[in-house]
Amino acid sequence: MDGPQLLKPALYAQGDDGVAWLNGGACACGHVFFPLQDFGCEMCGGFGVDLTPQRLKGLGRIVASATVHLHAGKGREAPFDVGVVKLDDGPVVRTLLTSVGDAPAPGQAVRAVLVEVDGKEPGQRVRDLRFEVQA
Amino acid sequence: MKTLSDLRPVYVVGVGWHPYRYATEEPYVTLGLTAVRQALADAGVEWPSMDAAFVGTALLGMASGRPMLRHLGATGLPLVHVENASASGSAAFRAACLEVACGLADTALALGIDKAIPRPRTSSGLGGLAEDAFVAFTHFALLTNEYAARNGVAPEDVALVAVKNHGNGALNPNAQRQKARTLDEVLGGKPISGTLTSLQCCPVGEGAASVIVCSEDAIQRLGIDPGRAIRVTASAVGSETPGAGNDADAALTRTVIGRALAQAQRKGTELDVLEVHDAFTIEELLYAEAAGLCGEGQAIHLLKEGAFHLGGQCAISPSGGLIAMGHPIGPTGVGQVGEVVTQLRGEAGARQHKGARIGMAHMVGLGSVAYAHVLERP
Ligand SMILES: [Zn+2]
Repeated sequence: MDGPQLLKPALYAQGDDGVAWLNGGACACGHVFFPLQDFGCEMCGGFGVDLTPQRLKGLGRIVASATVHLHAGKGREAPFDVGVVKLDDGPVVRTLLTSVGDAPAPGQAVRAVLVEVDGKEPGQRVRDLRFEVQA
Repeated sequence: MKTLSDLRPVYVVGVGWHPYRYATEEPYVTLGLTAVRQALADAGVEWPSMDAAFVGTALLGMASGRPMLRHLGATGLPLVHVENASASGSAAFRAACLEVACGLADTALALGIDKAIPRPRTSSGLGGLAEDAFVAFTHFALLTNEYAARNGVAPEDVALVAVKNHGNGALNPNAQRQKARTLDEVLGGKPISGTLTSLQCCPVGEGAASVIVCSEDAIQRLGIDPGRAIRVTASAVGSETPGAGNDADAALTRTVIGRALAQAQRKGTELDVLEVHDAFTIEELLYAEAAGLCGEGQAIHLLKEGAFHLGGQCAISPSGGLIAMGHPIGPTGVGQVGEVVTQLRGEAGARQHKGARIGMAHMVGLGSVAYAHVLERP
């Protein structure tokens, strides 16, 4: 399952069953969030020892999806598909999807996978996180 | 806690614009002076009678006000710059209203002004999985998809908002887009993101909008026509809370508009005109429902019946809205107030909503923050 280095290792990690982990956090108040941060809890204001890392399983359901036809930014070629995913573990994340022009509809079950993409250096390959429809 | 309605009455007595348009090389100073001079002339007052000035701008950068306002004659009045993203103008207007309402000033100017200068936000230090992929139009394409799935409406129906607003914009000499469009033209335009096409997205250009607010004392003292004074009966503002999911702007709007209507002791269904933050078509539907004009998922049906057109139950975005009038950022929130005032005065000409007596201006700023002001013809 190993491959090129991860593009954003602070945000996710490889899982041993093919489903990636997301590096989230939990507050003493019970609030679960993504990404992990130590600034403070958005729900209760807790900080410091109140906040602990929590791995979130990359499983969830599509809240919304779209195919981007025209992108107003550098370093990303349209078309590509994006989605909003409600994780089974709680947080809602905004993510790229593996599909292109065929985004899964709201309600569909999806999972996080690590896919090989071009890195910043010429010829470099890295692995980045995408969500895809659960088989 | 007190609200605007607990303080002394505040009236809008002058409105003015520099038309919104695509970017030019003209200095912002010219745009701002045009709008302020028009507002002063509309109120029939002179610049030295202004007690305070609030300049709403998100893109001009530091200290843009005095290099502009000094050309009106530098009276030494208190001058403050207000930044609140897309709601910068709304924030400047609220500040002007409060200054007068609490008696610190008898008159105040709110000016919204911007040029289309790219100005990226400073990073919070927290990244996301692919935040660069989620520019504004993609965020709203996702909301369109979610709304369409939840309420069983065809995403193409959402485009009808743009047809209505381009039609209104065609009647507004200050609008950036002044061309009526058919549904086929809207749907056949350049695909942007999801089902959004270019004519369903607001243009960001340049312009200026200005309003003058004052107290009852000042109306008498300065000989202002009380018959054209429009009272500000509510001012409400709030910021996003966690847990609203992808649809945070609509949830926040519901809260803020609810507060404004409570202050004014009005119901959403009493509004005759409503200027909303329709930067993208889907927003007008979400905010019409959040304002209580109809139940969730019902806005598209009312739109098709003509309820939101000029002459309908409540004219939404009579100016053309952000989609047709344009969204030059700083001016937008002030220009909305100017449009509502023009409608309530019965001076909107070809786009007049007949019998308009109660209006609202609603704005969302990135972050998110939201504003709602209720205005009424006394
Ligand atoms: Zn907490």
